[in-house]
Amino acid sequence: MARTTAARRTNSFYWLLLTPALLFLLAFLVAPFIMLIVLSFREVDSLLNVLPTYTFGQYIQVFTTGAYMTIIRSTLGVALLTTVICIVLAYPAAYLLVRTEKPGVRTFFYILLISPLLTSVVIRTFAWIVILAQNGLLNAVLLKLHLIDQPLSLLWSMKAVIIAYVQVMLPFAVLPIATSMGDIQPKLRQASMSLGAGRIRTFFRVTLPLTLPGMLSGAAIVFSLAAGSYITPLLVGGRLQPLLPLAIYQQAVQVFNMPFAAALSVTLLLLVGIVIALIGWISKRWEARLHD
Amino acid sequence: MNKAGRPSQRKRKISVLTTLIWAAGILVYLFLISPILVIFLSAFSPTEYPQFPPTSFSVRWFHSLFTNSDWASALKVSGLLLLIVTPLTVILGTAAAYALGRLKFRGREAIQSLMLSPLMIPQVVLGIALLYEFTSLGLINSLAGLVIGHMVVAFPYVVRTVSVSVSGLDPKLESASMSLGAGRLKTFVRITIPLIKPGIIAGTVFSIVESFGEVSISLFVSSPGNITVPVRIFNYIDQTFDPSVNAISVLFIGVAVLAIVIMEKTVGLTKVM
Repeated sequence: MARTTAARRTNSFYWLLLTPALLFLLAFLVAPFIMLIVLSFREVDSLLNVLPTYTFGQYIQVFTTGAYMTIIRSTLGVALLTTVICIVLAYPAAYLLVRTEKPGVRTFFYILLISPLLTSVVIRTFAWIVILAQNGLLNAVLLKLHLIDQPLSLLWSMKAVIIAYVQVMLPFAVLPIATSMGDIQPKLRQASMSLGAGRIRTFFRVTLPLTLPGMLSGAAIVFSLAAGSYITPLLVGGRLQPLLPLAIYQQAVQVFNMPFAAALSVTLLLLVGIVIALIGWISKRWEARLHD
Repeated sequence: MNKAGRPSQRKRKISVLTTLIWAAGILVYLFLISPILVIFLSAFSPTEYPQFPPTSFSVRWFHSLFTNSDWASALKVSGLLLLIVTPLTVILGTAAAYALGRLKFRGREAIQSLMLSPLMIPQVVLGIALLYEFTSLGLINSLAGLVIGHMVVAFPYVVRTVSVSVSGLDPKLESASMSLGAGRLKTFVRITIPLIKPGIIAGTVFSIVESFGEVSISLFVSSPGNITVPVRIFNYIDQTFDPSVNAISVLFIGVAVLAIVIMEKTVGLTKVM
């Protein structure tokens, strides 16, 4: 009896600690999203004033306008390409992180890995402007090495966006891959090799399948970040790249069509949600198969 | 000859493969760090535009940071925000992460996902949603709007790092304290907080770094009177750029280095990520 009262008192203490955070998130994370969804069903008049009536018009416009379908396709394409490049580059980086014996060297790799994460996105993006500009570092080096005759125009293109995206998001792919790689028992690889499989075969039959969950969770983060950022494409890609986050930014800040910006936002959120759910589903199926 | 040759051939093949992987890995790390190096080194160039490598050494652009009133006022806003946002977020996040780690109820995982969701939600969408809400509430163009926006972004980092510390905390230590007569609150302050301190420190560092560098939300909810440093950098490089941006970047890189040192000294880098 006394015991249950004590337990109840402890529990109410925990709830007391949790409630302020819940109220905060309810007010400034859940509520704004509900308001945004409601807004996306509002009608606007010819002066873009929001009317109190409801409509599917914004969504019909998104999904029947060729330009917006192109934007959706290229957003998914760019995010997917960024994800694939990140995963491929993350693999050797994670390998170095896991296989380095010396703790000092490992810490050094860690610092190289997380320092981009700790530097503001405007700074990293600014760095890419300095590097990729017509009179920038990369062109200067290539010209000096006589690899090119004319400076390449790299800035203000989707190429620049993808390069900057990859650098910014790569650590998010390396960390989960390194974690899952570090969890593999060395015995498994030794067993595979002692059974006659070469290193390459062992990699494809043992290491790769076991690190797939890490790759997938890295892919989910990279994909959602790449599909939703607007600062980087705005600064290195120019304002005209066909990307959903840029379109949302323009509709809200330049056109002032808030209901349409809201409908585009909900669309982006749904697309990202679907891809992440898909990745989660594949990951679950794969883990179930591994443990069979 | 065949019998003797095979193992050594295989060994050579392995070392070639390993060398290739190492070379690829080192190239990847170089790619990761090169933008920061470029920014850092060209901040010391005396020319009107960022020059790399700088032909001579100058600190004139650092000087301009403190003489130009726009940079100074942006630094003031960013600093003020840190002073408000960091303690609020750390207290809110620590309490929530600890309570969530101890409570068992249905829907616990859903709440945990909700708490971490700002990490995954497209920043532009979060920015628009908060812009719209603040406009309706009359919070737009206020410092309060910026504070709330920064807290939403920094909150999940605190929750994540503190949760790791909480999951490694033995509840018996708290029971012992309470059986010796300390109340729930006293136990929390005297026993629990010191034990999860590494997580709280890492969370604080992350919160500071996130809030100091945040631009995606701030761009939507800040007003001309309340411009943070990253927003000012954004406006600046959107139009033109000179090495004063590099100089301010060096300040940011300094904060990042400090953050790394603090995390390595307190919790160890491998544990916080």
